[in-house]
Formats: sequence, C-alpha cells, structure tokens
Amino acid sequence: MPRIFIDGKPYEAKSGQTVMEVARANGVDIPAFCWHPELSIAGNCRVCAVQVEGRSWVEISCNMPVTEDLKVLTDSDIVRDYRKSILQLTTLNHPVDCGICDKSGECSLQDYHYEHNGTPSISRDAKVHSTKFHKLSPRITLDNERCILCTRCVRFTHEVSKSKSLGVVQRGDTSLIRGSEDGAFARDDYSDNVVDLCPVGALLSTAFLYKSRVWYLKPTPSVCPGCARGCAVDLWHRKPEWKLHALEARKNVAIERVTPRENPHGPWICNKGRDYASFVERPRAWQAMSAGTPVATHTAIDAARLLIEGARNPFVLVSSWASNEELAAFRNLLAERFTALVKADRLAQPGEPMEDAFLIRADKNPNTRGALAQFPNEWEIGMALPADCDLVLVWGEGFDLASAPPKARTIVLDAWDKPTHATADVFIPLSIQTERAGTYTNFEGRVTAFEACFPKPDAVVDAESLFASLARSTLPAAAE
Amino acid sequence: MKHLVAEFDALRARFPEGFSSSMVLPCLRRIQEDRGYVADEDIGDLAAYLGVPRIQIEEVLSFYGQFRRAPVGRCHIEACRNVSCSLLGAERLIDHLSRKLGIRPGETTADGEFSLATAECMASCGTAPMVVVNGKYHESMDAAKVDALIEANRVKAAE
Amino acid sequence: MNAPARLLMNFEVTPTSHLLAEYQARGGYQAIEKAIRTMTPKQVTDTVTTSGIQGRGGANFSAGRKWGVINLNDGQPHYLCANADEGEPGTFKDRWILENAPHLLLESMLIAAYALQVRHAFIYIRGEFDLPYRRITAALEEAYAAGFYGKPLFGSDFTCDLIVYRGAGSYICGEASGLLTSLEGKRGYPRNRPPRLTVRGLYQKPTVVNNVETLSNLAGIINNGPDAFKATGTKKSPGTRLVSISGHINKPGVYEVEPGRPFREFIFDTCGGVPGGRKVKCIIPGGISTKVVTGEEVDRIRLDNEDLATVGSGMGSGGMVVIAEGTCMVRLLQVLLRFYHHESCGQCTPCREGMGWMHRIIDRIVAGQGVPEDIERLKQISAWNDGNTICGMGDAAGYAALGILAKFGHEFEHYITHKRSLCDGNLECRASS
Repeated sequence: MPRIFIDGKPYEAKSGQTVMEVARANGVDIPAFCWHPELSIAGNCRVCAVQVEGRSWVEISCNMPVTEDLKVLTDSDIVRDYRKSILQLTTLNHPVDCGICDKSGECSLQDYHYEHNGTPSISRDAKVHSTKFHKLSPRITLDNERCILCTRCVRFTHEVSKSKSLGVVQRGDTSLIRGSEDGAFARDDYSDNVVDLCPVGALLSTAFLYKSRVWYLKPTPSVCPGCARGCAVDLWHRKPEWKLHALEARKNVAIERVTPRENPHGPWICNKGRDYASFVERPRAWQAMSAGTPVATHTAIDAARLLIEGARNPFVLVSSWASNEELAAFRNLLAERFTALVKADRLAQPGEPMEDAFLIRADKNPNTRGALAQFPNEWEIGMALPADCDLVLVWGEGFDLASAPPKARTIVLDAWDKPTHATADVFIPLSIQTERAGTYTNFEGRVTAFEACFPKPDAVVDAESLFASLARSTLPAAAE
Repeated sequence: MKHLVAEFDALRARFPEGFSSSMVLPCLRRIQEDRGYVADEDIGDLAAYLGVPRIQIEEVLSFYGQFRRAPVGRCHIEACRNVSCSLLGAERLIDHLSRKLGIRPGETTADGEFSLATAECMASCGTAPMVVVNGKYHESMDAAKVDALIEANRVKAAE
Repeated sequence: MNAPARLLMNFEVTPTSHLLAEYQARGGYQAIEKAIRTMTPKQVTDTVTTSGIQGRGGANFSAGRKWGVINLNDGQPHYLCANADEGEPGTFKDRWILENAPHLLLESMLIAAYALQVRHAFIYIRGEFDLPYRRITAALEEAYAAGFYGKPLFGSDFTCDLIVYRGAGSYICGEASGLLTSLEGKRGYPRNRPPRLTVRGLYQKPTVVNNVETLSNLAGIINNGPDAFKATGTKKSPGTRLVSISGHINKPGVYEVEPGRPFREFIFDTCGGVPGGRKVKCIIPGGISTKVVTGEEVDRIRLDNEDLATVGSGMGSGGMVVIAEGTCMVRLLQVLLRFYHHESCGQCTPCREGMGWMHRIIDRIVAGQGVPEDIERLKQISAWNDGNTICGMGDAAGYAALGILAKFGHEFEHYITHKRSLCDGNLECRASS
C-alpha cells in the first residue's frame, strides 16, 4: 500500500491509484474538468496539474500513478500561477454568458475562477464563435461556445450508456461535440446524465432551460418510482423562502428538475427519472366520495370502516407504489381481515423501454419487493377475484373497478383523479410521494428513503394514518 | 459500397485478429477513390460492415484533411503554402492559380472542372513550390508550368 | 577533413536502383540472415543499444533504450511501426529512403521485428505521398514474393507480416501516439503518458514506433557491427544523419551528413550557398519546431546536436530550411503559426486555444494592427504550452515562436511600431528595396 504526501500530509493509497483519486477520496479537492471518477482518463483539460516536490514544473494528477513516498504540492506558487494560466486559456473563447446561463451557480468554471483567482482575459482578439443552442437531441441543448471540450459527455455515451452516440468532429479550436447523424443520441435512454456531467453550461436540459435559477431551488432526497431499480434521486423545487407570490401557486410545488444521488451503479439515472414531474403533475383527486357523492373525508372513512367490518371475504389489491411504512401499517392494522394481493400499479407504456442491460427494469413500480415482503401473493391483470368476494379494497392504480365481482362492494384509495372513482362505494383521496416520507425496497432488496418535498394538502390523507382510522372499531373497545 | 465489399474482405484478412477498427481509414479512402467523395449512405454501410460506431466514421471524416463528403472539381489542385514553398514563391503561385481559374482556395469552378485548395507541407520542399493534382505531385512549379498544367487538364476534359 | 561517411546514401541512384535485384546485388537481405542465424533477439537489441543510435524523427531518443522496455516473454503480441508520416515542414529525407531505398527499410524492419518478437509490423505512411507509396508497396510485393515477409525466415520460426497503412492528411499523426490511434482507425489523437507506448501502444499492446531513417540504419549496424557505427559521427550523436535542405539555397535536396563537421561547410560547400551570393539570415536546422540559428551562429558551430544545443537548437527531424537576408521574419512566423493552428488536434486546452490565439495575434501584427504587448503575449502563450500539453506539438509551436522572437525581436517591434515590415513583407530570395 503506497503512502503518498499531498501538501505535506501523508495519505494511504492503493496500488494502481492516481494522485487525483487519492486526493478526492481524502477531501483534497484538486480541480478537474475532464476527470470524473466513473469515466476513463482523458487528461485534456490540464487544470488538475500539481507539482511534484523538487521539480520546477507541473504534471497532471489525474494520470499520475501513486508510488511510495511520492510528494506532491497542490497549492504552491508554481501550481497557483499555472492554474491561472489554464483558466485564461479555458476561458479564452468561452462566452461570458453567466448572466443567462442555466449552469450559473453550479458551474465548475465559475467556481474555479473564484477559488483560484482567475483574472480577466488578457486577449485583445475577438472570441471564436460557434453554434449556440444546437439541438443535440429533443431533450439536450448544446452550446458549443461554452463547451470546453472536456469530452465527459462523449466518454459517457461510449463507456456508461454504451449508445456510442457522441463524438468530436473537426479539429483544433473548431472542434465540436456532435451526435452521430443517425440521431442515436436521441434514443439514448440515459442521455440526460450528460447535463450533470458537463462541468459548464454547454449541455443543458431542454425541459429545464430558463425555468429557474438553481439557487432558488433546493434538493430533497427521494427515490425514483419509475421502475423497480429505485434509483436515489434529488428532487429540486423552490425553496420555501423563494416562494413565488405573484405567479400560480402550482409553480411552488413543482418539481423543476431531478438529479441522481449516489447509487451503487454510479451517479446515473435514466431519462424517465428525469421526467419525475410527469409522475406527479397529473390531475389529483381531492374529494372524498360516497357512491359518487362528495362527502367529507371523515364521513368516507366511517363508511369504509363499516364496509370492512361487515365484509366476510374482503380482498385488498395492494399498491406496489406504497412505502414500506404504509405497507407495514396495513399489515399490522388491517391485514388479518383481508386476502391481500400485490398488484402492479403501472405497466410499461407503449414506446417505453422495457428492460435493458444497464438500469431499466421491466417492473415499472418502485416497491413491488417491499409489498411482496409483507404480502406474498400477486394479482395479475385478468385474474378474476372469486365470486364470493364481497369487498374489494383497491389501493392505488392498476385495477379496473369494472372487473370486481358484481356483488362486491368497493373502496378505492387513490391520489389520481379518475372517472371510475365515482363508481366506487367509497373513494378516499391519498397523498403522493412528494408529500410524505418513507422507504422503498428495490428489486435487489436495497432500501432507500425518500423525504417529503411539500406539506401534505389538507384535502388528502396519508395511507398510514388512514389505516389507523380504518382499524378503529365502531364498537366500543373491549376492556383491555 | 456493396461492390467494394469483396475488396474489403480481402484487406480485412491481411490485418491481425481484432483490427476491424483499423479498416476505417483504408475503406474510406477506397470509397472516396471510387465515388469521388464519401456519401452519407456510405457512413452507415461502412459502420455496419466493420462493426464500429457510426460516430467514429463521422469523426474520422471530419478530422482528416484528405477526406471529403462532397465532390470536388474533376481536376482538384492543392497548392502547398508552408515554409519552403512560401520562401520560393508559393503565395504568388497560389494567387496566380486563383486568378487564372477565377476561384479562391476552397472553391470549385462553376463548370465543375477545377477546384483549388491550399495544403500544408507535402515533403516536397527541395522542389518547391509544388502542387498536387488529383493526388499526383507536380514539383518545381512556376506560373508557366501551372498554366501548362491547367491547359493540359482542360484539353483532357474536352476529349 | 575526410569525406563524410556514407551509411545510407552509399549507392548510385538510378531508375532501377530501388528494385530488389539491385538491392540484393549491393548486399541486401544479408543483415537479417546474419541476425537470425547468429544472434538472439536480445543480442540484436543489445547491438542496437551499443551502437548508440538515436531516433531520427525529431525526438532523438535512444532507440536501444526504447526497445529495451519490450519484455520478450510477456506472452502478448508486440507491434512495430515505422513512422513514415514525414509531415514536419522542411523535411523530406524519409521520402528519399522510401523512394530510393525501400528494401533497406523493409530489411531493417525485419531486423527490428526479430529483435522485438513482432509478428505484425506496419509502415504508417502519410496519405499524401504518391511516389514513395508506390515504391514502398511495390518493394513489399517483391519482398513477399521472395519469401522475406510472410514466411518463416532462414530456418527459424520467425515470421513477419507487414502492412503499409496510409494516413489521410493530419500532421499530428506523425506524433507516435497519435500515429497509433490513427492506425486504430480513429482520429489521430495523441495520448497521455504513462503508459508508454512500449507498455501499451497499438490496441493497448506493447508497440515500438521508430522513424524510417532510424530503422534504415539497422541493416548497416548488423552488417558492420555497432562499433563501426559508433566510429562515425560524434560520441553523443553516432552515425550519420540525413538532412533535407530547402529554402534559399542553391542545391536543395537530401544529403547524408556526418555530425561534427562545420555547419558552414555544409551550407556553402556542399549545398552551394544562397542564391545570388546573399547572406544567410538564419537557418531552421531540423524542422520548424527547432529554434532558428542565425547566420553568424552558422559560421561558428558544428552541425551536430551538441553544438546546436549551445545556440538553443537541435538536429530535430533533419528538415533544414535556409532563409536569406531580406526575408521578413514576422511573415515567416505567420506561416508557421498558421500551420500549427491548422494542425492542432484540439484535444488539450493549452494547444487548442493557444495555437488559435497565437495565429490571431500574428495575423493582426502582419495586418498592421499589432500592439507592443503582443510580443510578450506570444512568448507567454509559448511558455504556457511548454510541458503542459498531451504531446509535443504545443511545445514545438512555442519553440518556433520563441526562437524567432529571441533572435529577431526587433523586426516585430518595428512592424508593430510602424505597421509595416522591415523587409517589405518579403519571403522570397530577392534583394529588399
């Protein structure tokens, strides 16, 4: 195990590591544009160079193998001067778009300019111009003037998403990042990761373009419900202190963008996860109903409780979007009365990728495994419930109410507005993932937590507390 | 590209195992020799034949100075403008060529007969200035010789 | 002084002297036989190391040391590649070998392949080459037909196959790692080191890339022994060097020089001096990436690496360009910077941005819009590139600029101050008005 010294301090390294890897693993933030822990070494940005003690020049640290007793300096005068020169060269033709650039506030070039005392450009010559707002794909906009040709995006498509759809055309300072002309990049289900990877504001999400300054947003840890992979994500929404008063209140509870958190497979999510907002920006159900008539929520709960107590052969279709906590609550409070079947709330939509060799799973529900852990039996589409079933409790989506046994009563719990809710005997509107906290278990058994982004609206109920209410008997409690 | 596949198969057999990617340059050169330039459909065909990513071929086509994706003149003239040729009058020669043909470097005459380009050092410095015509070196050139060259190529076209 | 040694240009060039029969009549393909029958691969490498031969492509690195990195018993394929990309402006000496002594190269490559246990060898030849390409491919056909390539040699189990691989118009493919990446069918992007190419080269396998002239010396070294080679040239630069000379010189062409002889002897005796008897203003000794040597320095130094080093220069690629009095050095630098800008691959920040920047500055100076700080700026950009790029091209452009600015800075000051050239912007060999 080689021991190296960075700025005089010793660090244990592993054979085969580079100085950059050791530094970053130990909180020494050597700057880097082209280096990324998940990608191959490009060594083209040159900003990571450090000085080996005793030498009067610098060498890139991202490609410097560790050797026993290697001593490097990351902040000597030579390194500081060098960094300023690299920043001069990197920004030579970079447009000062900060005022209108989405990346502002989380841009490595900005950050390093401040941290390492970048100086205004000393060039007297006009900047080289290039294409701006090139549609790399419908989802990704590319500004070639801002691009510093670090090639992280290119390497991502070759090494991670394997679409091999991005490259560098031409050469010299007219080099351009481009997608292959057959449009393969638009078919890369992981394309949006390049927006995170891009150290500057060259690669931008078309959907997020100009939507918000990033410093008005805060990230809330969550879990993508798009499939059983359950990637950990950050959902970005307006900070409470930056609430918009004048515009529609809807903007204040919008998910503006989604970024990956650390996952075992790396900091990547598929494009479906990026479109998290589309999961939740659907018409909500706000109104409890009794046989289609709007009623107060507590009235609907009372009605449901009565139905449950009076049922002889009740079935529950368990939501695979329910959190582990909600599932446990149902198990503890109500399950013994019911025959429980876990259903798939969502199926793959036409045109949606089913399963691939990377992250995407065919099961488009986030907590199938968590639900099956509590209730081992599954319900498949078309499976008929027995004729003597007299109550069907539908929890979540994915069950056609019309297929319930003709004589059975129905209780529907759902967050989303549907015309069929009015045909249920009782309908109670539920909260959604962004309005509560909980955990999901992915297909591998990994448990990941999500937090609430927004307060729960009064009109809806959390399933957890609902089950407690439903379990309370109308009969006087027996003396304990 | 189909009519070239047999040739490509033979070439592939000469390379060691695992060298399919290396075939990109020689295949593009052959396609260009055959058609005069590399067409859009050639890119997909070649990528499929070699099993390399399409983007690799697009990158190669745009990186190397000799590959072109559009036709040039029937008589394509490249004139070196590097150091030794410049020391021996290349700038005047290129000017002369440009005026004689009525086009600037990078352009093709309206009748599609001649195109003109500047080139970097061709390793012909001892016989400067020089031009390359359809890939053939013409060295120790001067205005008179260049005029004769153009005439000879015009005559050829007329035949 | 004795006549200079002739190790390579030691036969009369005729319309047929490049053919196999005549090469064999001169003793060709005896060295490879000697190597295989009487030496082990390691002994061949040791012989090359003993000879002290340095790379003749520009980098001047000890060939034997480069070869010594190859582990003959690693069980991996090894590759050998002759660098025939010859793109360094002013250089056309490898071309002489390809056209006139192709079999010398082919035999020498067999020797190298034997020493390095190479089954597949390549010649990467620049795509623009016309006659050199036809000559080397014709010679290869002859060599195959004669059984030198493609068959086990001289009773051993050593077989070598060779492919001539054509480039497609990119100077940077003359850089060894860019060359290999091009040979892999991609853009000619140079690579960072580590790893060295002799550890991970072509398709990540151990690869030796040598210049055409370097390789072509091997037959002689094996035939006559390394000591005979060391007896020529100088202690630090043994052997001879091919020098291609052009520009303002009466007898341009390729010459074989023995390092250590007076520079002025070569210029004025061998090559006939400058047309019209004009004075030498300066000489680019070894390709445009070597710093210019003034006429006064030419008069007093020997033509070898050590003496050239004392005036900040070197033998480089052997591409010598003579520049006569009355040539505008500002316009000359413009030609060079335009070239570097055009040829930058664009991978790394200092070169990609720096080459364009320098080109724009020099264009502005030539257009009469220069400012005094432009000279400092060119020097600064050169310094920022020195040692800080993926390959040597960034450094090279800097050296070209720094060399000219150091010795002819006053011309730049004049141009900036007076918005016109001291020499009427002249590049050709004629009296300035």
